[in-house]
Amino acid sequence: MTRLPYVQGVPIWRNVVALRWAVQIVSAVVVLSTIALFLLNVAREIEARDIPFGFTFLQRAAQIPIGEAVIPYDPSDSYLYGLIVAGLNTVRASVLGVILATAIGILVGVARLSPNWLLSRIALVYIEVFRNIPLIVQLLFWLTIVLTLPKVVEGYVIGDAIFINNSGLYLPWFEAQAGFWPWALITAIGVALAVYAFRWLSRRETETGQQSYPLLAALVIALGLSLVALLIFGPLAIDIPQIEGRFGRLQGGAQLSGSFMALLVGLVIYTSAFIAEIVRAGIQSVGKGQTEAARSVGLSGMLTLRHVTFPQALRVIIPPLISQFLNLTKNSSLAAAIGYPDLVSVANTMTQIAPAISLFMIVMVSYLSMSLLYSLIGNLYNRMIRFKAV
Amino acid sequence: MTARAAPAPLPPATTVGLQGWLRQNLFGSWGNSVVTVVVAVVLAWFLVNLGSWVLVEADWTVIISRAPLYIVGLYPYEGYWRLCVCLLLISVLLGMSWRAWPGPARRFAFAFGAVMLFVGVFPHEMAPEHRALLLLNLPFIGLGYVLTPRPAEAHSGRLEAMAGGALPPALERVAIFSTPRRMVIAAFVALVLIMILILGIAGVPGLDPVNPQDLGGLMINLLLAFFGIVCSLPIGIGLALGRRSSLPILKVACVIFIEVIRGVPLITLLFMSRHILPLTFPEELNIDRVYLAGITITIFSSAYMAENVRGGMAAVQTGQTEAAQALGLRGWQTTLLITLPQGLRNIIPAIVGQFISLFKDTSLVYFIGMLDLVEMGRVSVQGNQEFIDNGREVYLFIALVFWVFCFSMSFISRRIEGALGVGRR
Repeated sequence: MTRLPYVQGVPIWRNVVALRWAVQIVSAVVVLSTIALFLLNVAREIEARDIPFGFTFLQRAAQIPIGEAVIPYDPSDSYLYGLIVAGLNTVRASVLGVILATAIGILVGVARLSPNWLLSRIALVYIEVFRNIPLIVQLLFWLTIVLTLPKVVEGYVIGDAIFINNSGLYLPWFEAQAGFWPWALITAIGVALAVYAFRWLSRRETETGQQSYPLLAALVIALGLSLVALLIFGPLAIDIPQIEGRFGRLQGGAQLSGSFMALLVGLVIYTSAFIAEIVRAGIQSVGKGQTEAARSVGLSGMLTLRHVTFPQALRVIIPPLISQFLNLTKNSSLAAAIGYPDLVSVANTMTQIAPAISLFMIVMVSYLSMSLLYSLIGNLYNRMIRFKAV
Repeated sequence: MTARAAPAPLPPATTVGLQGWLRQNLFGSWGNSVVTVVVAVVLAWFLVNLGSWVLVEADWTVIISRAPLYIVGLYPYEGYWRLCVCLLLISVLLGMSWRAWPGPARRFAFAFGAVMLFVGVFPHEMAPEHRALLLLNLPFIGLGYVLTPRPAEAHSGRLEAMAGGALPPALERVAIFSTPRRMVIAAFVALVLIMILILGIAGVPGLDPVNPQDLGGLMINLLLAFFGIVCSLPIGIGLALGRRSSLPILKVACVIFIEVIRGVPLITLLFMSRHILPLTFPEELNIDRVYLAGITITIFSSAYMAENVRGGMAAVQTGQTEAAQALGLRGWQTTLLITLPQGLRNIIPAIVGQFISLFKDTSLVYFIGMLDLVEMGRVSVQGNQEFIDNGREVYLFIALVFWVFCFSMSFISRRIEGALGVGRR
């Protein structure tokens, strides 16, 4: 801040420096007194109504059931552990949701630009329908659909391995064997090598103009190493779900509960409609002249896409895309409405016996750290793509 | 142009007409044709199934028999006429906007009139006086239209012409009431009347106070979204100015408020208004949950509004500020008279967008126990053995209602964007 010179003879109420300080002090007083009033009121009510407060409860046994958990959970575990389990449920829904919504969003966005009139119209209808209906209505609708599926014993079975019924979706899944860690290590090395090879070949291609197929080479290195290690160590067995007992309880494999399915489908469809618009706008933002120029200097269609259109479109697409990821994560809190035990839903259940204010603070801080994480990624990307002075 | 150009040769037959259109857009290449056929088959299958379900299998009694619950919640039946009068006031406002702003507002007025006509004549259980009040909306739109002078006529130009020269000071004051100003005043008066009609006043016969908890259905979604936007605009402007200011304490306070609110889901704020906000008021002041929801939604919306306003003001060219400074305007004068008005004009489409998303978000007030449209639907399905299997009908109906509102608003927003020339100036 530049310090303005003090001019002799200017009265104090017209002195800019004094005025600025006065406004600062007044605003500080207003802000602090609002916060103080809020806190004092809350503190007084806490005392008057004998409401518990503090964080000691986190160590006690939570005694509440959590329907599904990524890591083993038992009601005798502590509140803290229960909240972590719930947080992981939020993370699980968000991560899967982000991946699927991006994939479908890109597909619909590209379909929107298709020269095929019918396809492009259908993509438009998809976008306009799903982004104009509140997510919670969509979630309740999908939940209704899931609940009207047949019972386990009468449910749909695909190839004796995939089960779809009113308790959810059951998929075959991998089970780690003795050789898992050596295999994981070799796969990680393979990925690192592939990244290195991709960069090296890309640079060679850019510098010499010689076609070097960096993507193909990277894929061959990573997948090849991983496959060879897979054959040597045999680290994974496939666990197929099976119906047990007369009343049909499915055991084994990966289980996605009905409410999780409804949440995932709702989140993915809702968010993908927004992502599709972002992708369309991004691709359209690259001028036609860019493509024409690339073609006229002799780049092939694929090379044009990879080196000219795509990098420029990404620049426009990524920042709003990351904000959509954040929205999806925040929207996953609607799980509370359809009975999926996410962070908000579990914290809300806990308020029956634990202090609401402390729980509220924990939930706020969790979501704020998630959004900080997203903005960190966004900022890193922005720094990465900044035009460098050559 | 003196030299007449030779007539252009006719285009090849395959690029014009229906055949040409089909060839270009659907069957341009082998791949394209395959895509068209596959998509058409899937689409036809979907539409046939949907149509037969909607017309034959679905049981819509769950909607028709409980229609008032979805629209106005538990609002007392004796007060329905008051809500009808509110609609009439809205009709007058729509008619006025139609006259003042023929493009986008006319469609809106038409759509509103069409919906009123449809509901007014639809054969379902409804008191004849309510039917009559709904049908009265059509003449009331016309009334609003007639009562408003055309924008050009209301300007002082016509008055000056009538006075044959410069206006005498007394008439100058009349000319201030140009069409936009009349509209703002009329909207304000209508708003106050609508609030009085909906909530009632104690002691006035016919206007018995309504328990705010009984407000519900679509009405509460619209009211919360509307008041959320209106109340968050001034707060948002304040926060945006604070964030732009060079005073560190003010700036940091505003940045923290905006980023914290934007970083958490609305449902956590509703969590707060359910468990903590009541503690900030003295216990004897038993505040109703409608107001708690209103406060929460306003807080939530103002953070987003602040970012909109900030964006709009950042888009005002620096030349404007420099010109203002060159003319000798002070800092606050530059902001209030130059940057802010232009910034606000920039964000009108963004405000409509925010209204749409806020309207969708009001469906979360179920979390603090309010019976909005969505919760009303959920209760009809899950709380009634009779309708337990009608979930699909209920949620599709609710989705359709929300969709019609949100889609028409975004359509109008695009029109406004075009009319304002945002991004073109």
